[in-house]
Amino acid sequence: MYDFIIIGAGVIGSSVAKELSRYQAKTLCLEKENDVANVQSLANSAIIHAGHNPEPGSLKATLSILGNKMYDDWEKELNIPLLRTGAFVAAHNKKEEKIIDELLDITKKNEVPEYMILTGDEARKIEPNLAKSITKVLSLPTTKVTYPWEVAFACMENAIINGVEFLKNKKVTAIKKQADFFEIEVNHQEIYQTKYVINAAGVASDDIGGMIETPPFKIKARKGEYFVLDRRVKGFMNHVLYPLPSERGKGVLITPQVHGNILLGPSSEYIDDKYEARTTDEGLAYIKKHSVELADDIPFNMIIRSFAGIRSTSTCDDFYIKESKNHKGFYYLGGIESPGLTAAPAIGPYLVNDVMNVGSEFNLNSKYDPKREPRLEFHRLPWEKQKQLLNDDHLYGRIVCKCEKITEKEIIDAIHGPLGSHSIKGIKKRVRAGAGLCQGGYCEEKIIKIIARELNVSPLDVEYDDLQSKLFKEETKVDE
Amino acid sequence: MKDVIVIGGGAGGLAAAIETHQSGKDVLLIEREEFLGGILNQCIHNGFGLEVFKEEYTGPEYADQFIESFLEEKIDYLLDTTVIGLRKENDVFFVKTSNEKNGIQFFRAKAVVVSTGSYERTRGQISIPGDRPYGVITAGSAQRYLNIDGLLVGKKVFILGSGDIGLIMARRMKLEGAEVLGVAEIMPHSNGLTRNIVQCLNDFDIPLYLSHTVTEIIGDDNHRLSKIKVSKVDELFKPIEGTEKTFEVDTLLLSIGLIPDVTILDDLEVEIDQRTKSVKVNQAYETNIEGLFVCGNALQVHDLVDNVTLESQRAGQAVNRLLDKGKGDLSRSISLSPGHNLGYVTPQRIDLDFKQEFITLSFRSSKKMEKATCKVFQNDELIFEKKLFFVLPAEMETIQLPFDKIKSDGNISVELEVKS
Repeated sequence: MYDFIIIGAGVIGSSVAKELSRYQAKTLCLEKENDVANVQSLANSAIIHAGHNPEPGSLKATLSILGNKMYDDWEKELNIPLLRTGAFVAAHNKKEEKIIDELLDITKKNEVPEYMILTGDEARKIEPNLAKSITKVLSLPTTKVTYPWEVAFACMENAIINGVEFLKNKKVTAIKKQADFFEIEVNHQEIYQTKYVINAAGVASDDIGGMIETPPFKIKARKGEYFVLDRRVKGFMNHVLYPLPSERGKGVLITPQVHGNILLGPSSEYIDDKYEARTTDEGLAYIKKHSVELADDIPFNMIIRSFAGIRSTSTCDDFYIKESKNHKGFYYLGGIESPGLTAAPAIGPYLVNDVMNVGSEFNLNSKYDPKREPRLEFHRLPWEKQKQLLNDDHLYGRIVCKCEKITEKEIIDAIHGPLGSHSIKGIKKRVRAGAGLCQGGYCEEKIIKIIARELNVSPLDVEYDDLQSKLFKEETKVDE
Repeated sequence: MKDVIVIGGGAGGLAAAIETHQSGKDVLLIEREEFLGGILNQCIHNGFGLEVFKEEYTGPEYADQFIESFLEEKIDYLLDTTVIGLRKENDVFFVKTSNEKNGIQFFRAKAVVVSTGSYERTRGQISIPGDRPYGVITAGSAQRYLNIDGLLVGKKVFILGSGDIGLIMARRMKLEGAEVLGVAEIMPHSNGLTRNIVQCLNDFDIPLYLSHTVTEIIGDDNHRLSKIKVSKVDELFKPIEGTEKTFEVDTLLLSIGLIPDVTILDDLEVEIDQRTKSVKVNQAYETNIEGLFVCGNALQVHDLVDNVTLESQRAGQAVNRLLDKGKGDLSRSISLSPGHNLGYVTPQRIDLDFKQEFITLSFRSSKKMEKATCKVFQNDELIFEKKLFFVLPAEMETIQLPFDKIKSDGNISVELEVKS
């Protein structure tokens, strides 16, 4: 019998797992995918928002403003990357400038620190590529950018080190409420028992709730499409640029990324099939059309990828973080759309302390270690450190991904780490091998061979993403 | 300090290294793979060498001709070694390398030849809409998996783009028992060599859909490619409604172009030509940075390896000349640019103090033309012309421009005209 079962290992599920690992309790996290952060957390803007947008007093406002501050601690404790970009919200004319004033009002009410109003010219002194048509900006210096996958990895790795169990490829197929515990059926076969259930299933959170009751909300998923510009555009834009928010959300942004790339997007469209992350001509054209309102001379010729992400917008306006009204011990984390990533560090403690009051029933885990070792990015280290590492392991000398300068040792570590992955996509998420200009054209073959060698399997058994996704159909040079 | 460091051990690098070593230079060649020969190793089809050897070889056989000479010359080389940095300080190049055996090292040289080849354009660069399943793969990667590793990427294949690698792979996959449903080309003409259209598609009854493109990629529940949609396009390359066909496939090979790989030059202030997507060079294949030469597919994408060899030999000769005679007065130069009906032209600059009998101009036409004449203008005055008859964007042309026709000032424009 488990004390807690968390369903879903996105950024939110992982942050709750980390928070629960502070207690002496038996905690399990179940993930239907072959990796953490593989649906909603997989594809988003990666921004830690300052708080100019959410309704003052809402959970979105309170938790995201707290979360923004907490990321500074996570940077130190969990070694997640942060890029302190600051942000500009841009207006183009008198009418839009009025909306800036309204946002300023919200910004003040939300007690966002350090905000400023700048004229277009003042802002262009800081960001020369800002569109000439911009007349006024709301500057939000506490806006940051992170690496969402690394946030989930860091939280889950830390949770695992502190005793949480994590199982991937475990799709919850039924939930039964017994007298004082729950039975969770997985993949139509195994059953896990638990006292408490935490539903952090993102876009599937209403379906999971629907297994025991009429869920208190419906997920109405939205899709956002993006372009990725190669990291060689680094410096084109150093701030996050927001247009004015509309009913379609925060609009098409220009967002510098931790590793130097720039994201353009998202578009925003409600979708019927919650998992349909398909890019469209219209969506991509929409991004191009609107991104040029924010910056001049965007280097569209540096596009290396487009993708679509899913947002679990719910029928509630705010985050839904509550216990089920019908079933004591079943908790919802619903409708965690933007600013969900920002709020992630605050959502764990809010749920565990304020909503669940876990401390009243469970003792603190005396061996709890808040620290998580950094993922080593060899070619970003100083020379002295590189020299020392090369002495210890020669495989740091072997470059596998030439575009992003990723070494064989880093890939081996990503395969075997506490939250190791055996898939091409999992390796890419962990070390960025294949995320560069040639998009794996050069290194994918080498990574397949390394995975096969490390696991002692045939390349035919190496997966692209989930367990069924075998890359090759057959071997052609076989002895008959 | 080395006289010359050659980066890349494919056809270009081997030729340049041999050329410089034969003239007594101290040369080091650096190759990232475990073998010399570069991309030729995976090109197991024939058709190589007709120009250089007047004989038809497979890719590995062609490479062997040069690897043998290279080894006989006893030229220094490093395998399995990646160049991770290149900079120049006080007339000396510093090449930073990384490999398993020696970790990170620096090598110094008076001149550097960059022959790093090209990389394949990917789905991301042309933004094909749809899902992101696996089974969408560049043709060159599939070729490597099949010919080097013996791994077949799919059984029901469609190919986007009629570049040579795509055509070669259409035949190759068919011979391995895969079903090849067709090749779509967005242009109204093929982008591959005519002989490849005949020998790889026609001979195997594989349909070629000209003016067609893939408009959507659809994956199944396991994230494997299951379907693609293909539409005819209009003159502006927009899909025409009502022309959509669906193909059930497990693999989409992309043969949508090669891009010179000069990322190694990121830290140097080289001038870039947006047309070739590589650096601008003079007639000696020297960039605006003295002593830095670029040749082969790293400079411009070639259809025939023979031309890579010849170009790289010329680059090697130019390196020798620089090292032997020192720099000329580089301030006296004129620029070359493509005029009517030309996609690009190399070199982009002629240094007047670097005299040769002929300057080799390489270019591609921007459209299919019959009975075309290549005209070279300087200050709007015709200084040279040559009849070419039949030109295609898919086939690189070269002409020899006599040096004595060039005047000492006025920029040059190269054009293609059809005699009316």
